[in-house]
Amino acid sequence: MKYRYYLTIILIISTLLGKAQNVDISGFARTYEAVGVKEGNFLMMQQTLNLNFEKRGEKVGFKANPMLYYYGRDSLNLNMREIYLDMYFKNFDLRLGKQQIVWGKADGVFITDVVSPLNLTEFLLPDFDEIRTGVTAAKLDYYIGSASLEAIVIPQFTPTLRPSHNSIWYRQPEFPAPATFDWSQAEVKPSLENSEAFLKYSNMTSKVDFELMGAYTWDDNPVMHIRKLFGVDSSAMPPHPYLKGLNITPRYHRLFLAGGSFSTEIKGFVLRGEAAFYKGKYFQTQDPDAGDAIVQKDYLHYVAGLDFNVGKVKLSTQFIQRYILDYDDYLREREMENTATFMARYDTPGETLHLELFSYLGLDKGDALIRPKITYDFEDGFSLLLGANIFAGDTEGRFGRYEDNSMIYTKIKYSF
Amino acid sequence: MKNLTAIAMAILMIAGISAEAQMSGRQIVEKAYNLPQGKDKTSTLTMTLTNKSGQTRVRKIKQFTKDFGNVEKKIMFFIAPADVKNTSFMNWSYDGDKADDQWIYLPALKRVKRISSDSRSDYFMGSDFTYDDLGDRKLDADTHKLLREETVEGKDCYVVQSIPKDEDYMYSKTITWIRKDNFVGVKKEFYDEDGELLKILHIKKVEKISGFWVITHSEMDNVQKNHKTEIQLSNVKINSGVPASKFSERMMMRGI
Repeated sequence: MKYRYYLTIILIISTLLGKAQNVDISGFARTYEAVGVKEGNFLMMQQTLNLNFEKRGEKVGFKANPMLYYYGRDSLNLNMREIYLDMYFKNFDLRLGKQQIVWGKADGVFITDVVSPLNLTEFLLPDFDEIRTGVTAAKLDYYIGSASLEAIVIPQFTPTLRPSHNSIWYRQPEFPAPATFDWSQAEVKPSLENSEAFLKYSNMTSKVDFELMGAYTWDDNPVMHIRKLFGVDSSAMPPHPYLKGLNITPRYHRLFLAGGSFSTEIKGFVLRGEAAFYKGKYFQTQDPDAGDAIVQKDYLHYVAGLDFNVGKVKLSTQFIQRYILDYDDYLREREMENTATFMARYDTPGETLHLELFSYLGLDKGDALIRPKITYDFEDGFSLLLGANIFAGDTEGRFGRYEDNSMIYTKIKYSF
Repeated sequence: MKNLTAIAMAILMIAGISAEAQMSGRQIVEKAYNLPQGKDKTSTLTMTLTNKSGQTRVRKIKQFTKDFGNVEKKIMFFIAPADVKNTSFMNWSYDGDKADDQWIYLPALKRVKRISSDSRSDYFMGSDFTYDDLGDRKLDADTHKLLREETVEGKDCYVVQSIPKDEDYMYSKTITWIRKDNFVGVKKEFYDEDGELLKILHIKKVEKISGFWVITHSEMDNVQKNHKTEIQLSNVKINSGVPASKFSERMMMRGI
């Protein structure tokens, strides 16, 4: 039923918009198959239809971007990735509706890029345009020369999407006692009071591009409020209390952050930096005096990156650090988390063959996600991709824990 | 009086001829580089790439340029092929030694990204033209020498050899045929690092649009790879009043 319903919607939209004057229809069809290296089982069989309907005039514009994902034999998902209306004025633009908003200068790392939450149901593997989810927002851009001021209001909070319990990307958290979850408070109702607000000032000059931002938002990840339940072991002499269970209530909390980013070119090297100060984020603690096993701490998150060419090879590297301020040893998380990324790309002279290697390196645990890929442009707009996602290193690490999910994959894509 | 006028004209002609004869290779190339272009230009660029099997690929771009005095700004919006549609590229090219500033907007990333301009010898969109070939090369990046004068396709031309000052540059030399009457190029040969002929650029059509010479049809043949790229300019408008705000992050993201 759902299948027919989605197709009917897509057909109606396509027919109506196709008939409308000057509506530009573009998109792609893609088939994506992945095989696990360890067991040879299919970890992904996904067929995708991405449609872009766009019309842009002097004063107004609109875009609708439905995406259909078909999995395996009978699972079809429709995702309206974006649908918005634009109004263009002399010195400002207004965009209303569901939209993806990207901030910052970092690649594959999300520091000031906090407006659109992430879809982590397939970890960090989807293309970067598919890993972000759209938010229903009002966005105003005001232009002053080469600078712009962007203000965003999001009335409905959208959290980061996590893998479901039956996903290969789900990892069961470990608890010292049986845990029961109460999800009744894990919702932020849309209201003016619960709205999120973002502000960014940016400028693009011949010397440097930079952004300054502030956000009054919600933490995209729910905080686990943990209540301990104790029993009494009467079989022991004398009887003593023991941890019988945990009541866990996930709840979203407000978060304030301020930061900025820049990029500049120095003798052929593009230097990038991005940093944010997060105020009052909740962390899990083992401090017996802490209520609900959580404590508020401020933290810094920053990245420094360098892009350069060696011959015809484009290289990019980044160092990322997260540092919790006023740290205490009760915290479950480390005081510092260090990560690096590395990217190398080579395009053959005719640009029909593209070789790329992108890696995340967990510097604390010594683990990594290594992503080589080779793309061949069989025809204009038709590409064949062969790649691998290799998880390696310490199985306690952020990447190494998915060692069993290492895969090789193909993506064949036709853009129109 | 008649005699005086005749003598004066003869002197002027001789002076003109000797001034022409005294022009150095650099001066000729400088004149070719500095041909009046107008304050701004809009055009649609169609590139047809043909490989040795005869298969063709087409790239289409809408481009705008504007001269701001000490800086020339260019913005390109990619129309085809479909997988690069809505990508935009902006270049600010400065007089003097300052390196260009370049940005690219990839619609998939939804972000304008500053990129290194240290890739002038990269091929543009898989074509046989590098960024330098497309006209962004600085005059004093090469040492120019007038080799000879000869007639090509019925046009009197200077033949100028240009040797890069950077020994690691992808070309060991280029030889350019430049028309004497209007300093528009007719033909250019590119030699690889080993001194072998690599590519030949043929200017197939030059039009005078709004009083300015514009190359509207050219072809680059890579004789080593048997691959060629044809470039055609259409919808050319000069001094149409392209606004300065066109060359901004706002327009890169919004598109044409």
